[in-house]
Amino acid sequence: MTAVLSLRDYTLDYLTGSRPLRVLQDISLDIAPGEVLGLVGESGSGKSTLAWAIMRHLPKNARELSGTIRLGETDLRSLPPRALTRIRGRRIGMVFQDPSTALNPTLTVGRQVTETLVNSRGLTRRAAWELALELLGHVELRDPEALMRRYPHEISGGEKQRILIATAFGCRPELIVFDEPTTALDVITGARILDLFARLRAETGVAALYISHDLALVSRVADRVAVMKKGRLVEEAPAASIFARPAHDETRKLVAAVPRPENRLVHDRPGDRVLLAAEAVSVRYARPRLFRPPPPPATHAVGFDIKAGEILGIVGESGSGKSSIARALTGLAEFSGGIRFDGRPIASARDMDGAYRRAVQIVFQHPDGSLNPRQTVGEILSRPLKLFGTGATDLNAEIGRLLEQVRLPAAYATRWPHQLSGGEKQRVAIARAFAAKPSLVICDEITAPLDVSVQASIIELLLALRAETGAAYLFITHDINLIRQIAHRIAVMRRGELVDLLPIDAVDADHVHPYTRDLMAASPTPVG
Amino acid sequence: MTDLLRRLMRTPQGAIGLILLAVLAAACLFGPWLAPHDPEKMDFLGRFRPLGAQNWFGADQFGRDVLSRLLVGARSTLPMALAATLLGTVAGAVVGTASAYLGGRWDEAIMRTIDAVMAVPGLLLALLLVSTLGNGAGNAMIAIAVTFAPGMARVTRAVALTVRGQDYVKSATVRGESASWIIFREMLPNVMAPVVIEATIRVSFAVMLFATLSFLGLGAQPPASEWGLMVAEARQYVHQAPWILIAPSLAIALTAIAFNLLGDGLRDAMNPRDER
Repeated sequence: MTAVLSLRDYTLDYLTGSRPLRVLQDISLDIAPGEVLGLVGESGSGKSTLAWAIMRHLPKNARELSGTIRLGETDLRSLPPRALTRIRGRRIGMVFQDPSTALNPTLTVGRQVTETLVNSRGLTRRAAWELALELLGHVELRDPEALMRRYPHEISGGEKQRILIATAFGCRPELIVFDEPTTALDVITGARILDLFARLRAETGVAALYISHDLALVSRVADRVAVMKKGRLVEEAPAASIFARPAHDETRKLVAAVPRPENRLVHDRPGDRVLLAAEAVSVRYARPRLFRPPPPPATHAVGFDIKAGEILGIVGESGSGKSSIARALTGLAEFSGGIRFDGRPIASARDMDGAYRRAVQIVFQHPDGSLNPRQTVGEILSRPLKLFGTGATDLNAEIGRLLEQVRLPAAYATRWPHQLSGGEKQRVAIARAFAAKPSLVICDEITAPLDVSVQASIIELLLALRAETGAAYLFITHDINLIRQIAHRIAVMRRGELVDLLPIDAVDADHVHPYTRDLMAASPTPVG
Repeated sequence: MTDLLRRLMRTPQGAIGLILLAVLAAACLFGPWLAPHDPEKMDFLGRFRPLGAQNWFGADQFGRDVLSRLLVGARSTLPMALAATLLGTVAGAVVGTASAYLGGRWDEAIMRTIDAVMAVPGLLLALLLVSTLGNGAGNAMIAIAVTFAPGMARVTRAVALTVRGQDYVKSATVRGESASWIIFREMLPNVMAPVVIEATIRVSFAVMLFATLSFLGLGAQPPASEWGLMVAEARQYVHQAPWILIAPSLAIALTAIAFNLLGDGLRDAMNPRDER
């Protein structure tokens, strides 16, 4: 039986300013009919480029040096663009990472699904509509009829990803490429999407290439797993054994970086002094209008406290109000209720004076967005130093010290943000927060966009900084395994309410809220 | 900056635009020396002399050399148009960014005022301003700048709204930075790219608007050889000696094309995703 997809010695360069950059080097892989090949590796290892090479959608500066890509008997590299449009969707499908940008916001869901089906399977509009109804019903979407008439912004991210997956399977391709389909979703939604994926695959027997940086997830869905490093395939083995008995150093490194709840990284106990107490904080984004009822608040009367030097984790699915809490504490969102900081009451953002703003710092999720692209690293770090006047006489020396504190060379001060990798940018953002010598740092999903090994090094850095400075962390995340490694207490949020606030060793106890139990169960078991 | 020029030269629009602009800049800088004749020297024997060896672009109703007048007139046309655009752009960009940053009621008040100003057609507004301020090139320049500012403010505000949502602006707010720091240092540098492109396209409008004002007798005054004024004076002789009209019209059109091409080229060159 011939392979559905077969790559032989495929090598690809990107032409950049000075010299060509090797992105893929001698890639050879086969996917048999009905097989799922998992592809893992650090960011920048060439996973997504490989997916785009298979889809034949490469940027202009890509140069293919050698090798073949075959889909069944067809040589994809020799096909003209017109023939390729007939292949895409009909013979190869693709599901992207971010469902919110994969659907056209100006067309109804039904229109987009039927259009795809009409194009790829040659159905009439009527028949395509019927089939779409059946497909959407099949992926456990409630009331497909009504859903088809809605626009993408009217449905949730999980629903969108279900629709995209249903459509990809509905086109009956030979191969589907999945590029991190659950990364943008929260744990519980992601787990449901995975169950759906497994079921549809068992029913249709389609072959798939599944790209992810989440090892636990790949070992659950894939038959075989390939590990990439710097554009090369370094190891390929059955999914059942690869992470349990990794042969290559890169695989071992990836496995070691996976957070394990039983492997606690924090052993001390926080002090008793309450640093910050939130009392019945409700965040409401829009003001009530004349003819419209006010929207429901993003959080309902949430109360908690953080002790000096404590790490408090906040977990919950997307939309549960985790980030709204961070916005209220930093004065970015209007809130009712009160905050008490170091015994001082703060009733609104206006009460947040220089001392409060110095003491409470925030690190945002996306390092690309949180560093001004038109300022050098040195300028970015100099602002908090000037603003909070930490008494440093030599600004440049202080910037160098900050960079070294986050394990970056001091010479980085002259670099621009776009010259840094994602992990390095996040380090700069952390350095900026610590420049103010804060007593509380709010980390809003700061490890979510990073891959496992970078994530592990950032966590290590945060813990080292905590040991140095004694700062407390409010750690917002949806990675339960990670937070169980580092937090002293965990707050569980759901639909704007705080459902549980537990010490870390009590999360497996019997008396927890049923939702907390669901959340713990949905988080993937670590591999290895 | 040199990198930007290099990338600009790589696109055909950018290269042609730059070359045309270099020619225009040369005319502005060295016009009086390049001119073969005195632009104001009358020659009654040479009235309406057609194109030829003596007068390359012909002579006008007083026998003045058209080419010389064009070359000298570049000085009173182009810098004025550039200055008017610059003034309007800077004012518009600052107002637009500030409006986006302040948000809420301030944003509403500023933008509705701008809507009201924009409801008056540009030329009419400029005419109104010049007739209030008095005739003359300087006042015409201010009038054009005021006409341009609302449009620029709108364009800038649209870009600044997306920048305002970025985490680095939030980070500055959380840090307790002043409004002026956030507007001028965090937001403005990031909205400049589209604003600069919009401005280069508007330079050509400014040249034409300035020419229109001079044509109507409200901008430059005779015997200045401002291009719009030249067109205005030539229109009665269009049947006798069309070249007096065509030469300055072509010069205005060429300037407009040059700046438009430069704008197109800049749009491509300033796109950071374009890594070629």
